[in-house]
Amino acid sequence: MTAVPVIHLAAAHTLRIPSGELAQRARERFGGELRRAGSFAAGPAGALGILWTSSHGALAAAHAALDEGRGGAPVMPFTFIATQPHLAAALLARQARLARAAFVHVERDSWPSLLHVAAHWLRECDEVLVGWVEEGAEKHGIAQSDWCLLRRRPAPARCEPLAEGAGETVSSGEWIARLAAWHAARRDALALRAGGEAWRFVAA
Amino acid sequence: MEVLLRAAALASALGDVDAALERLEGEPLALPYYAIPVPGEDWLARAGTIARSVAASLRQKAALSENEWAAMPCLVGSSSHDIGALEDRQHPVLDPPAAFARRLADWFGVRGPAMSVSTACTSGLSALGIAADLVAAGRCRHALVLGVELANRLTVSGFAGLELLSPHAARPCDRRRDGLALGEALAALVVSTSGTWRIAALSSVLDPSGLAAPAPNEAVIAGSMREALSSAGWQAAEVDVLKLQAGGSLSADLAEGRAVRDVFGTPPRSVSFKGAIGHTLGASGPAELALLMGTLHNGRVPPTWGFSLADDAVGLDPRAGQVSAKRVLFNLAGFGGHVAALALEKST
Repeated sequence: MTAVPVIHLAAAHTLRIPSGELAQRARERFGGELRRAGSFAAGPAGALGILWTSSHGALAAAHAALDEGRGGAPVMPFTFIATQPHLAAALLARQARLARAAFVHVERDSWPSLLHVAAHWLRECDEVLVGWVEEGAEKHGIAQSDWCLLRRRPAPARCEPLAEGAGETVSSGEWIARLAAWHAARRDALALRAGGEAWRFVAA
Repeated sequence: MEVLLRAAALASALGDVDAALERLEGEPLALPYYAIPVPGEDWLARAGTIARSVAASLRQKAALSENEWAAMPCLVGSSSHDIGALEDRQHPVLDPPAAFARRLADWFGVRGPAMSVSTACTSGLSALGIAADLVAAGRCRHALVLGVELANRLTVSGFAGLELLSPHAARPCDRRRDGLALGEALAALVVSTSGTWRIAALSSVLDPSGLAAPAPNEAVIAGSMREALSSAGWQAAEVDVLKLQAGGSLSADLAEGRAVRDVFGTPPRSVSFKGAIGHTLGASGPAELALLMGTLHNGRVPPTWGFSLADDAVGLDPRAGQVSAKRVLFNLAGFGGHVAALALEKST
């Protein structure tokens, strides 16, 4: 097997917002900055990759489009466009040089396999965002947006694949939350496994 | 590690690869929608019939052992997944797309991990890219890539709402072109450490204005082709065949034509398959790649159905003819600004 290139974890972040508060929270967070095009508009300098998943994709938009089209009625353009979740990458492309981008659906407990894909992308990208996003309907009314930022150059933690069977079993949907908590606590090492994958994260 | 295309199979409106290439030499069809000629009122049962047929063909061509075949991961590119089954009320709720990817893997008889990739019309090529990453990284020796786009009302209604469809038929690059014609396809590729065509480069670019722009930006398309050429280490003049994205859209064909002339000056021999099988959206990468591999194997570029009157503004003149190709470039562009170019080199 080809050696996995050395990759580093620069950051891990989780967000849980009740669906009913999502619009207001987004306005509070981004409204002013969007008008001024301040720091929010500044993306990373190097080539970025973005690889993210969710269980159903744009579920609310898909239901809205199906409702509109029921009985043969036309589906309105923006309703149809909203069914394609990868379009989020086009928004990011305005702020960063996106070298690779893919929205994927993985099988249960297969999220850690995306770390291998990201490791390969880091041959041509300086950084890769790997995420898990869920609309509220999938998580009992709580919208989820979890991301980790992986880097080719040294960062606070090194990521290493382990032999199958090593590490603590954690459902793959909770990996980024565990990484974020570990990162914040600045402990020495964390080993996780799920779906036949195991990875160790070691503080630099 | 080198990654190559080992085998390809297809179900399309014109049949499998060999049938389609033979039909392309005859009288063109002009259809507003290109359906796979497989009957069936039950959406899922029909999908299974089509998938099993493609699987049998691919398995024969790939010539892998039982274990090698079964161990392959399955990467699916689709923009609509199995939403047709929901429309037909076979599912009360939307299945997770990964479950449809697993169902497809089962129909193909492979037991490796299944993943679905969604980047609209470039989904199949994005799936190919991830499969190539897995092979190059040594995670597997062979990987199955599927491009799947089967009939559903939502997609047709959505494209109609966007006013992207032709009321007649697809006329790629032609002066009379007036929009896209959609089609069904289920295409399958085996990406491997051994095969006939080496993946020399795959560029994938996102047009920042892609969400709002009416057509891909010609500079972005040209940039994608230049990036693929540069990564492959080729000069533009070394490309023997260019597979066009062109689907009959007024503005997108124009943008591609300008980009091709910018990169190549005089374009190489070119072909579009969207007048033959329709625009098969997320399946278009693997579907058109399967036709292109058949074309290269036969040493003859088929006619581009729907094209007869050149448009000076587009400046492309896809024509049939004999070819002994060593290097080919494959353009694809999608909704939301995804633009890709795949460089393939004949394996020695």
